Amino acid sequence: MRRKSSLVLLALAVLFAALSPLVRWYAFPRLAKIPANQYQDMVLEAKDATLLDYGTMKAKKVPKVTIVQTLKGNVEASEKIEKTAGKDVVVWDGLSYVQGPDGKMVSRIPERYIFDAHTQEPVHATGEMVDGDPVRREGIEFKWPFLTEKRDYEYFDAQARITAPIHYKGTQDFRGVEVYYFEQTIPWTKVPFPKAMPVAGITPESVAETGTTRWYTTVRKFWVEPLTGAPVYGEEIHKEELRGGTLLGDREKVTAFAGHVKMREDYIAYTVDLVKSNRMLVLLMTSYLPWGFLALGVLLLSLSLYLEARARRPADPAPTDATEPEPVTA
Amino acid sequence: MRALIAAATGLAVALALVLTITAVGAPSGDTSPKPLLTTVPAHP
Repeated sequence: MRRKSSLVLLALAVLFAALSPLVRWYAFPRLAKIPANQYQDMVLEAKDATLLDYGTMKAKKVPKVTIVQTLKGNVEASEKIEKTAGKDVVVWDGLSYVQGPDGKMVSRIPERYIFDAHTQEPVHATGEMVDGDPVRREGIEFKWPFLTEKRDYEYFDAQARITAPIHYKGTQDFRGVEVYYFEQTIPWTKVPFPKAMPVAGITPESVAETGTTRWYTTVRKFWVEPLTGAPVYGEEIHKEELRGGTLLGDREKVTAFAGHVKMREDYIAYTVDLVKSNRMLVLLMTSYLPWGFLALGVLLLSLSLYLEARARRPADPAPTDATEPEPVTA
Repeated sequence: MRALIAAATGLAVALALVLTITAVGAPSGDTSPKPLLTTVPAHP
C-alpha cells in the first residue's frame, strides 16, 4: 500500500515540477496577449494652452484643449490578417479627437495600428495608416511589450510618421506602482496638415497652395508598468507651428498649438487600478504559479521518498511456527 | 521500473495539460459596438 502511494506521489511531484518551467517559459508567452476586441478610451487635457484662431490666423491663450483618444480592436480585420500572418494579430482602429475650449473640433486624426498580440511588434498589412496616409510602422506605439526591459525602445510618432528611440530614464514609484519612465523628443519636424481642418472650406490642399507648412515638436513621456507593459500615465509637451506662405501675411511663423498635455485625473486613477489587476495576472503566470508548483513538486517528491524508504525497511522477524511434525510412515 | 513509469506519467500529464490550455487559448470575441469618440466622456 505504501509503495503504491509513493508512486502516486512521485507522479504528482514530476507533474508539478514539470509544470513550473512549462507555465513560465511555454504557456506564458503564448497566453499573454492583447485581446483582439479591446476597446479603450482616454482623455488628456492641456490647460492654459495656446491655440491658433483660424478666423484671424492669430495664436491665442485658451483655458483648456481636450484630446479624446479611442482605441478599438477590430476583430474581423485581425482574423483576416491572421490568416496570412500566421500569428495572433491585433488591429486597433484609433481616433485622436482634439476639441477646443468652445467644444468645437480642432483636429481629428484616425489611424490603424496592426501588431503582434504577444510581442507588440508591428505587423505590416494593407490598411495600416495614419489619417488616411499609408504608413509602415517600426517599433511600438501606445503600449510596451509584456515584461518591459530597462532599455530604449523604438516608438512610432503618428504626427511625424517616423520611428525614433524612446529612452529608458529610470525606475520610479507612481501611486504605489513600480514603473519605468521613458522619454522621447521629436525635434522640429515638418508634418502634413490633418485631413479634417477646423474651419469649413479649408482643406490641406488649399493650405498647401499658399505655401504655408506645418511643423511640430514634442517631448513624450510615459510611465510604464513593466510586467504588463501598460503605460499608467503619460504627458506630452507639444508644440505646432505654421511657417511661411501667404497665409501668414508678413509673419514667418505662428503657433498653431502649444500645451502641456496630461492625462485627466479620473483616467489616471482608472488606469492605475486596471493595470494593478492585470499585473496580478502576469505575476501569477511568471512568478506565483511557477514557484508554487516547484515547491509543491519538491514537497511531494520528499513525501514519496519517505514513504518508499519506510516500505523498504526490513520488517520485524516473524515468530517461529510451532507446527506439529508430520507423521512419518514406517 | 514502476517509479520510471510513474515519473513518465506525471511528465506526460503536465505536457498534455499545458499544450491543451495554450492550444485552446482565449476567444477573440466580437468588435465592440461602441464608437470612436468625438465627444469628451464624463468618466472612464
